[in-house]
Amino acid sequence: MKAAKRFLARLGSYGTRTRDEERLREEIEEHLKLQTEQNARAGLSPAEARRQATVRFGAVEAIKEEYRDGRRLPLLETLFHNTRYGFRQLRKKPGLTATVLVTLALGIGANTAIFTVDYATLLAPLPYPDAGQLVMVWSTIRGGRNAVSTADFLDWKRESRVFQDLNAQTESSFNIATRAQPENVEGRVTTPGLYRMLGYPFFLGRDFLPEEGQPLNDHVVILTHKFWQRLGSNPHVLGATLRINSEPYTVVGVFAPGLTDRGQGEFSVPLAFRREQLNRDTRWLDVMGRLKPGVGIKQAQSDMYGVTKRLAGSYPTTNKGWGVSVEPLKNDFIPASRITTLWLLLGAIAFVLLIACVNVANLLLARSLVLQREMAIRSALGAKSGTIFGQRLTESLLLSLAGGALGVGCGYAMLQGLIAVTPPNTLPSEADLRLNWPVLLFTIAATTLAGLLSGCAPAWYASRVDAADALKEGGRSGAGPHRLRRLLVVMEFALALPLLAGAGLAIHSFWNLMNVDLGVRTDHTLTFFLDAPDARPSTPPSTTAYYRKMLDGIAAVPGVSHVSVETGTPLLGTGFHPHFFIVGEPGYLDPSLRPWVGVRAITPGYFATFGIRLIEGRAFTDRDTFTSTKVAIVNQYFADRFLRGKNPLQMRVSIPQLLAGPVRVGEPVQWQIVGVFHNVRSRGLREDDAEICIPFWQAPWPSAGVGVRMSGNPMAALDSIARAVHAVDPEVAVANPRTMAQVRDDVLASDRFNMILFLSFAAIGLVLAGVGIYGVMAFSVAQRSHEIAMRMALGATRNRVLKLVLEEGARLACCGSGLGLIGAYLVGRAMQSTLFGVGSLDYSALTIVGLILLATALVACYLPGRRAASLEPMQALRRE
Amino acid sequence: MEQPEEKMVIPLGTLALMALRTLDLLGPLHGYGIARRIEQISGDLLAVGQGTLYPVLLKLEQEGAVQSEWGASENNRRARFYRLTRAGRRRLQQERQDWDQTTEIVARFFRVKAEELQ
Repeated sequence: MKAAKRFLARLGSYGTRTRDEERLREEIEEHLKLQTEQNARAGLSPAEARRQATVRFGAVEAIKEEYRDGRRLPLLETLFHNTRYGFRQLRKKPGLTATVLVTLALGIGANTAIFTVDYATLLAPLPYPDAGQLVMVWSTIRGGRNAVSTADFLDWKRESRVFQDLNAQTESSFNIATRAQPENVEGRVTTPGLYRMLGYPFFLGRDFLPEEGQPLNDHVVILTHKFWQRLGSNPHVLGATLRINSEPYTVVGVFAPGLTDRGQGEFSVPLAFRREQLNRDTRWLDVMGRLKPGVGIKQAQSDMYGVTKRLAGSYPTTNKGWGVSVEPLKNDFIPASRITTLWLLLGAIAFVLLIACVNVANLLLARSLVLQREMAIRSALGAKSGTIFGQRLTESLLLSLAGGALGVGCGYAMLQGLIAVTPPNTLPSEADLRLNWPVLLFTIAATTLAGLLSGCAPAWYASRVDAADALKEGGRSGAGPHRLRRLLVVMEFALALPLLAGAGLAIHSFWNLMNVDLGVRTDHTLTFFLDAPDARPSTPPSTTAYYRKMLDGIAAVPGVSHVSVETGTPLLGTGFHPHFFIVGEPGYLDPSLRPWVGVRAITPGYFATFGIRLIEGRAFTDRDTFTSTKVAIVNQYFADRFLRGKNPLQMRVSIPQLLAGPVRVGEPVQWQIVGVFHNVRSRGLREDDAEICIPFWQAPWPSAGVGVRMSGNPMAALDSIARAVHAVDPEVAVANPRTMAQVRDDVLASDRFNMILFLSFAAIGLVLAGVGIYGVMAFSVAQRSHEIAMRMALGATRNRVLKLVLEEGARLACCGSGLGLIGAYLVGRAMQSTLFGVGSLDYSALTIVGLILLATALVACYLPGRRAASLEPMQALRRE
Repeated sequence: MEQPEEKMVIPLGTLALMALRTLDLLGPLHGYGIARRIEQISGDLLAVGQGTLYPVLLKLEQEGAVQSEWGASENNRRARFYRLTRAGRRRLQQERQDWDQTTEIVARFFRVKAEELQ
């Protein structure tokens, strides 16, 4: 209470300092006069009277000091004073200040950008009201999660007790007529309650009505904001008609900008189940629910477990063995390896900031050495070591604050760059990448930490300068500070090695991926997709005729050597993924235990078009028709895994009939294996998958991919190929045309992106470490010029001097790298799940990055070394 | 020059108490007056640099125990006069009680004999 009163009084008196000072002076003067008069009356001479009065009063200056301390706000005032001092110091050295600011701004900016991505993706709450209630509900079998069948979804909705609402959605692609040519776009197909359940805002119009979830009522569409803009931003768009898959759809709404614009689809149409879709064997729906208030995941899980158990009991053929998993919506769509990668990137960039801090510490320390005499004089004049420490620390905090402010700007620019180069669909659409308060708080914390880290060592050193020593040595520094600076360089290299090792692992892993045997040739091959509208009536003969015409038309384009139709493009997928069993083998009797296999329907030209090698047996021919014996070709992996020790060409496989049109699984059909082909990577590049190819003519499917092998540049022929396609069908779009090389690059996009990020972080770290060691060695050489000149005068050759400097640099780099090995091992362990074909201790990568680091150190030391070697001994000694 | 006797160093905080009591006893006084009176009352037994009084007075003023204003000294020069406030008077009373209590307790320790504690 008393203290508070005094603080207020001090605060009040803060502005009146000069007046108070004057008052005290006057009071003391008056006091002394009175005492002098008194003394004079007692008989002393005037001079002696004055002297005695002064003696009696005590040390005037000390009392004034104490009096002033009593009036002041020490902390605030010191801060203010130190800040002004700091500014003055920084202005005096613009070069150093700029170097430090750029270093810090880059470090802090990069951290801000990466943290923004991590925050938006992993930490920020989902942008829906009561987002904690939102869950995904998956079917599960043998521990893996799966999409949900229509009938299961409807039963879940009816029988579960824990959901406020349960909705289903799927993605599909559509042909729409927006320009002269038909265009293929992605769209979301959702049950009408989904957007209401999410609480998603609308820009125009309304959500789907419940009755629009019925066939015949379902020709309505909600546009995303970006698609609405692409269509011309028509404010009166409601009620307008959009032709989707050649049928008229009425626009009833436009989503608010933001979330849906970042997602995959361009628009949304209602999901209306047709009668033939009400089955349990085709699992194709993503099911999302909103839990009732107060219901937890566990309770929902146990309620749904009961529901699925009853269904499994009632429908054993389709549902035996099928369970359910209720999972929070948050992060449910991001693969675990991507989450790891996001954290790893943040860790890597934090390392970069640490190295930047060490660098700044080093620069400031070098300056402390230059300022040593000033510090010594000040401490000789009575400056306390705490005061000097505070001043120096304030200086580096000022630097880091300025660096942080620049860093926010830098981070914004980096974030925009990052958004521009991030491969599509890497981040969930809920992730809104922008600088917001949590991000700024992070930046402020990082900035303060950077200031403290980079400021403490130099400040500590400056505050401990021994005045007598420093002045005695005539400005040449002792061994202490230099030892500290060398320690910092060692630290820098110890931090840089793990960073470089991370990049090395990412590059090695990417190199392995690039050199995976894809099983296909990627040159001179064009692929695209023909998305036949669902509603168009199709029978096997009509589809066969349609694609025969297509193939003939495309084959007639000049330069085309091979052309094929297939239900899935190599590297991207096979088209179908049903259960199968091998005829006559026991162990496949229980349907829930049957394995899955990729099934691709292909025309005879497929193997030649994509350059796929046949290992055994024969390829398909035009004589394998709808009415002839059903035949199949399996891949090597399938033969090794399921037909070990048998002659594949004598086996038959059974897969369900592929039924075009209705989404439904047909009766099992047996296929005679007639060949084995070389493995083709079809689910990403990382692993082989069992695959069966069947003749397209024996299982015609309305929508299919087309592969074309050309003699020239495939993209150049795209227009004439599109003309050939539209000559057969003017309404179908040539969707997603890419060369096989592009397909491969797209599949590798996120791996390449990660590698480039790690690589650029490592490059920054390497440059910073190089600059750091250069700074130390250059300074050390300058400080030791006397010693070096002496050595040379005593007969050391220039080469020996150069060697001396290089050796010291190499020693520091090696010490640091040695320490860094521990970090490198930990980094390797953490990255393990994201790597391909690389162990956590990858000796080849480690050796290479170690050599790079050492080479950088030597190059950085060569310049100061040369300067030392070119010293003229006599001149240098005379200068002393 | 006379060598001062062995003088007592005043315990911390008591200088403020002495200044308050002096003002209580004699009414408004300037700094020199307070210093002189303290010396007089203590019988010149205290080693007080007269100047140390001023920071103490400032502290008392900040705490609201005294107020000060410019006035004319005996020989008609400008001097700053300190006056006890009502809060200062209350504080003096409080501190006096505390002081009495403390001395009483300490005195008991000196009075007490071993046999009385059986």
